[in-house]
Amino acid sequence: MALTMPRCLILACGNTLRSDDGIGPWLAEWAEDRFRSEAGLRVLARQQWTPELAEEIAHSESVLFIDCSAESAPGLVAIIEIQPSAPTPGLATHHLGAPELLTLARELYDSLPRNALLLTVGAGSIELGEEFSEPVLDAIPRACSLLEHTILQSLRGQD
Amino acid sequence: MSQTITIDPVTRLEGHGKITIQLNGQGEVEDAHFHVTQVRGFERFSQGRPFYEMPSLMARICGICPVSHLIASAKACEAIMSVRIPHTAAQLRRILNLAQMVQSHALSFFYLASPDLLLGMESDPAARNVFGVVAAKPELGRAGVALRRFGQHIIELLANKRIHPGWVVPGGVTEPLAAAKRDEILAMLPEAYANIGLALAAYKQIASTFKPEIEVFANFPSLYMSLINEDESIEFTDGALRMIDAQGNILDDGITAGKFSESIGEAVENYSYTKFAYYKPLGYPQGSYRVGPLARLNIVKSMGTPKAEDELAEFKQLAQGPVESSFYYHHARLVEILYGIEKIEQILSDPLILDKHVRAIAGVNRLEGAGQAEAPRGTLMHNYKVDENGLITWANLVIATGQNNNAMNNGVLQAARHYVKDGKFTEGVLNRVEAVIRAFDPCLSCSSHAFGQMPLVLSLLSPDGEVLDQVIR
Repeated sequence: MALTMPRCLILACGNTLRSDDGIGPWLAEWAEDRFRSEAGLRVLARQQWTPELAEEIAHSESVLFIDCSAESAPGLVAIIEIQPSAPTPGLATHHLGAPELLTLARELYDSLPRNALLLTVGAGSIELGEEFSEPVLDAIPRACSLLEHTILQSLRGQD
Repeated sequence: MSQTITIDPVTRLEGHGKITIQLNGQGEVEDAHFHVTQVRGFERFSQGRPFYEMPSLMARICGICPVSHLIASAKACEAIMSVRIPHTAAQLRRILNLAQMVQSHALSFFYLASPDLLLGMESDPAARNVFGVVAAKPELGRAGVALRRFGQHIIELLANKRIHPGWVVPGGVTEPLAAAKRDEILAMLPEAYANIGLALAAYKQIASTFKPEIEVFANFPSLYMSLINEDESIEFTDGALRMIDAQGNILDDGITAGKFSESIGEAVENYSYTKFAYYKPLGYPQGSYRVGPLARLNIVKSMGTPKAEDELAEFKQLAQGPVESSFYYHHARLVEILYGIEKIEQILSDPLILDKHVRAIAGVNRLEGAGQAEAPRGTLMHNYKVDENGLITWANLVIATGQNNNAMNNGVLQAARHYVKDGKFTEGVLNRVEAVIRAFDPCLSCSSHAFGQMPLVLSLLSPDGEVLDQVIR
């Protein structure tokens, strides 16, 4: 399938029925709305990152993964650079992490984005529910600001 | 002293389950079970909901085959409404179901099974995954990814969402197909044909190296059941059910959804939350049967599409009567992918597929309805009762995995008895026991996702529960 190469691919992950786990899809929707007229941005939100996303990654100039983090302090917004890495045992079937997806993109399509970042928001709760915890609610302005800045840099090729 | 070997959870499955192997004092396998350890409860908590909500509610059962639940549920609702849906709606649903079958079979073959098939049952477990496949056979890795995308993209084009779409509703579908979308699907077909051709060639090349596994992977006589058309060709969405015996003779035919419960019963075992379906006239467990790709290809006389027809003829050469080894589920899956691609092309070539009349409207005209369809893993049946206001008062779902349950358990026992000798086992031995289950591609549950990593823990337990040995990977 021929894909048009986006300048910036956003790949969000999370379940909107599991409280803070839904922050990834929420931020993806925010970005899609904020940059609605921007042709160079492609936004995909999934409950899980699956191997077939490797093709999307391989055919993007830059990729920004968005996910909640169970390890970070609740509400902590962080962005880190991601490199391809070997798969973790037990994964590699239904869902993958960002580094493993980069590995698949490189191995399958011999191509990687020039830049790959992971934006995370520390989860306060992943219980059943459609509302964010207080720490994550408080973190949303910071997350949106960082997201906007990162996307603008990617679109301008300054990442 | 007797021992129990536990494989918990079994990896590379849709959902969570475990296997226990009971050894006797001489270290021989006495019994083995495949346990489904999840509880769902959809039949219970749908009670009180309006019947027209059922398709979208039931689609949440599974993230891999929501389309099958949508279709079986919608058909049950249409039985309550007493309506016949427009021809174009039926054809659009057929495309949707085939697209789902293609992507689900691709997931099963390329992501879950091919690590065993391409890298070997004894290969390094750390590399026995889709990454290992990609490293060893990148062209097959790309083919698998592309076939998954092919099926998912069609679902997304038709129903706007690739998982849990709401486009299928009681009475038909919510909107017709646009010409641009039809053309986009048609443009994807050449690549899909090339990819399944590659996979079939690769499978045939390696299958001959698995003769020992073919011999003991749930390789026994059984009954088989699937939907079939009146012309005896394969069918996933409409038609009626046929049951054949171990020799291929027709035991029962023309089983409509409304008569499903007259022919099929469900037994309960104390070691699993999944029921055990059986053919009522033979009782339980004698009436146990298999469903899914192997059953479908054993039952049908024709595929109805030229390339798949040739593959069916080759498949039928594997045995005099029904093909008995469940290892051949893998083969059958690939033949069905080819069929799915061809059938989608056939249906889209009909100009009527763009017709705008795609939904029939009606209210409650009957207080009970049932619908059936072929999910990727086998026959699926939804049966509902409603009150006069259309609120659900009772629901029963018979899923493919329950219908294969007895065969899976017997298959685990057969493989364990063959491979576990003198109470000794290796990782490769246990992987083969797991691989028996993977051949069936059971779908235990996909709607509750694990948060984190699922390790495989194998424990040797004494009769009083003491852990004698443990392997974790």
